[in-house]
Amino acid sequence: MATASSLSGEILTVPTAAQPATGESALVRWLLTGAAVLFLAVFIFLPLGIVFAQAFAKGLAAYWDSLREPDALSAMRLTLIAAGIAVPLNLVFGVTAAWAIAKFEFVGKSLLTTLIDLPFSVSPVVSGFIYVLLFGLQGLLGPWLAKHNIQIIFAVPGIVLATIFVTFPFVARELIPLLQAQGQEEEEAALALGASGWQTFFRVSLPNIKWGLLYGVILCNARAMGEFGAVSVVSGHIRGLTNTMPLHIEILYNEYQFTAAFAVASLLALLALTTLVVKSAVEWRARRQLADSARWEGEKGTA
Amino acid sequence: MSIEVQNITKKFGQFAALDDVSMQIRSGELVALLGPSGSGKTTLLRIIAGLEFADSGTVRFDGEDITGRTTRDRRVGFVFQHYALFRHMTVFENIAFGLRVRPRRARPSKEQIRAKVHELLKLIQLQNLANRFPSQLSGGQRQRVALARALAVEPSVLLLDEPFGSLDAKVRVELRRWLRQLHDEVHITSVFVTHDQDEALEVSDRVAVMNQGRVEQVGTPEEVYHYPATPFVYNFLGNVNLFHGRIEGEERAILHDDTGGDLVYVRPHLLEIRRQANGEAHFRATVKHIHSAGPLVKVEAQAEWGERVHVEMSQEQFRDLQLIRNEAVVIIPRELKVFQKNAV
Repeated sequence: MATASSLSGEILTVPTAAQPATGESALVRWLLTGAAVLFLAVFIFLPLGIVFAQAFAKGLAAYWDSLREPDALSAMRLTLIAAGIAVPLNLVFGVTAAWAIAKFEFVGKSLLTTLIDLPFSVSPVVSGFIYVLLFGLQGLLGPWLAKHNIQIIFAVPGIVLATIFVTFPFVARELIPLLQAQGQEEEEAALALGASGWQTFFRVSLPNIKWGLLYGVILCNARAMGEFGAVSVVSGHIRGLTNTMPLHIEILYNEYQFTAAFAVASLLALLALTTLVVKSAVEWRARRQLADSARWEGEKGTA
Repeated sequence: MSIEVQNITKKFGQFAALDDVSMQIRSGELVALLGPSGSGKTTLLRIIAGLEFADSGTVRFDGEDITGRTTRDRRVGFVFQHYALFRHMTVFENIAFGLRVRPRRARPSKEQIRAKVHELLKLIQLQNLANRFPSQLSGGQRQRVALARALAVEPSVLLLDEPFGSLDAKVRVELRRWLRQLHDEVHITSVFVTHDQDEALEVSDRVAVMNQGRVEQVGTPEEVYHYPATPFVYNFLGNVNLFHGRIEGEERAILHDDTGGDLVYVRPHLLEIRRQANGEAHFRATVKHIHSAGPLVKVEAQAEWGERVHVEMSQEQFRDLQLIRNEAVVIIPRELKVFQKNAV
C-alpha cells in the first residue's frame, strides 16, 4: 500500500480497524461459517443423533436387552476376533513394508507401493469376491480345501482374511512418509555404537515412529470393526456364527427391528467417536513428530 | 590402531565414487580427507567405517583384513555430519547408548556407565546439560555430544564425516581447535572428512587431497600447501591465479599464450604490485577493484592480456602504495609454480 501511494502520489486512507489484508467482511464470514455448520448438522450430527435417539426410543431396558441378545453378543465377539487378528497382523506387515520401502532400494519397489494402495482403490465387494473365487467351493482352491475339510468362505477364516485385506494399507501408508523423512543416520549411528539389528529397531527406530504407528493402528482398527462390503460377501450371514456387527445391524434393520438395529449401531457409532477423539490426540503428536523430523532435517540444511 | 586401505574401488551405478584408492593412516594420527563434493572422501570414510562396502579392495586395521566385517564388529567411533543423535533420548542416554547395548557379559554396571558418561560430559564441557534433549541444544553442543557418544565405546579409530560442516563459522573454528586439543590428549587414530582447506590444514597431522575418486596427494599440511604435487592440489588449497603461457629467462617472466603453453600458478600473496618494475620480471595491469576490509587488502587487477588477476597485500603495504582504481601498475610474481600442459 505504501508503494502504491508513493507511486500515484496520493495519500490513501489506511483502514482504521486492524484488519488483515485477507480479511473478509462480517457478512461473508457469517455466511461461510453458517453454510459449513448447516452442512455438518444435516449430514453428520443429525444422523448421529438419530442413531442414539432410535436406540433409546423404547427405553434403556429395551436398549440393554437388544445388546444382550445372544446373536448380538456373538456378532460383537466375531467383530472383536476379526479386528484382534487383522490389526496385529497388519501392524507387523505395515511396519515391515514401510521399512522396506522407506529404507531400501530394490527392484519392484514402486510396484509394492502401488499394491499397498490396492485395497483403497478396489471396491470392498470386489475384494470379498476375490476370496470367494479363490477359496469358495467352485473356486480355485475350493475342491482341495473341501477335501481336507477346511472351510474358509462362509466361516470365520474368510471374514478375517477379508478384514486383513481391506485394512492393510493403513499402517504402511502412515509410516512411509515418516520413515522417509527421518532417513537412516540414527540407525547407522546405533549400529556403529555396537547395537544389534533388533536393538537398533526397538531402541532407536520404533520410538521415532511410535505416534505415527499408533495413528495407523487406530485407523486400521476402526476400519476393521466397521468393514461391511468385503465381509458381507464372504460371511454368508449365518446368525450367531458368521455375523459381524455391521452385518448384524443390517439383518436386524431388514427385519424391521429398528430399536435393536440402532442399539448395536450406537455401539459402532460410539466406537467411531472414541476413535475420533483418540485419533485427534495421537494425530497431534504424530504431526509433531513429523514436524520435528522436518525441522531436524531443515537444520541440517543450513550447512 | 593403524588403518590401511588398498586398491579400493566403489561405483554407484555408472558413477565411480572411488577409483583404485590406496592410503595408509598411522596409529595415533589425525588425518584429513580433503576434497570438493563428489570427490569420494565421505565414501572412503564410510567404507573404513563399514557403513558402505567397496566393490573391490581391502581395508586393514593394524594389518588385519577387516574388509568383510560389519560396522558393529569394527569398533569404530563414527561422528555424522548431521550429528545423528537419538532425538528421543537425553544427552546422558545418548552417550550411554553404546555401553547399554553391549551383551550382558560385556556390559558395565549402572554405576560404571554413569561414571563414564559423566567423565565424557566433563570432557565436552556439558556437565549441566545431561538431561536435555538434542532438540534443546545448539549445533555445536550437539556435535560435541555426538563426539562423546562415539568416544564412550572406546573405539579403536575415530571417524568424523564433515564434523563441523553444519556449524556457523565462529563455532566451527572453536570446535576444530578443541578437536585438535582433544586428539592431543586422547591420541586415538582419527580420520575426518572436510571440504574446508583451512580446517584440514589447521587441524590435521596429514592431509589427503582427493579429487574425482582418487587421492591426489598425501602429506603434511606444509607439504601439500607449499609443494603441491598436481595442479588440482595447488588450485584447491588456497586462492590461486592461473595463467596460460610460458616462463622465460632467469627472471621467470610470464609470457602469455592463449593458444597453449604451460599452466602457471601464482598465489595472490606472492604477487607484488608496484608502480615501476626496476628491471624485475613483470607484467602490466590495471587496478580494477580494491577490497580493504579484513586483515589483508585484496586487489583485483586486469592483466595486459585481459585476464583478471588477484593480488593480496598487507594493510601496511597498501597504505604505502596509495593505489586507486583504474591506475596502471606493474605486477611482479615472487614465486611461480609451473605445470606442464600434458601433466594435467
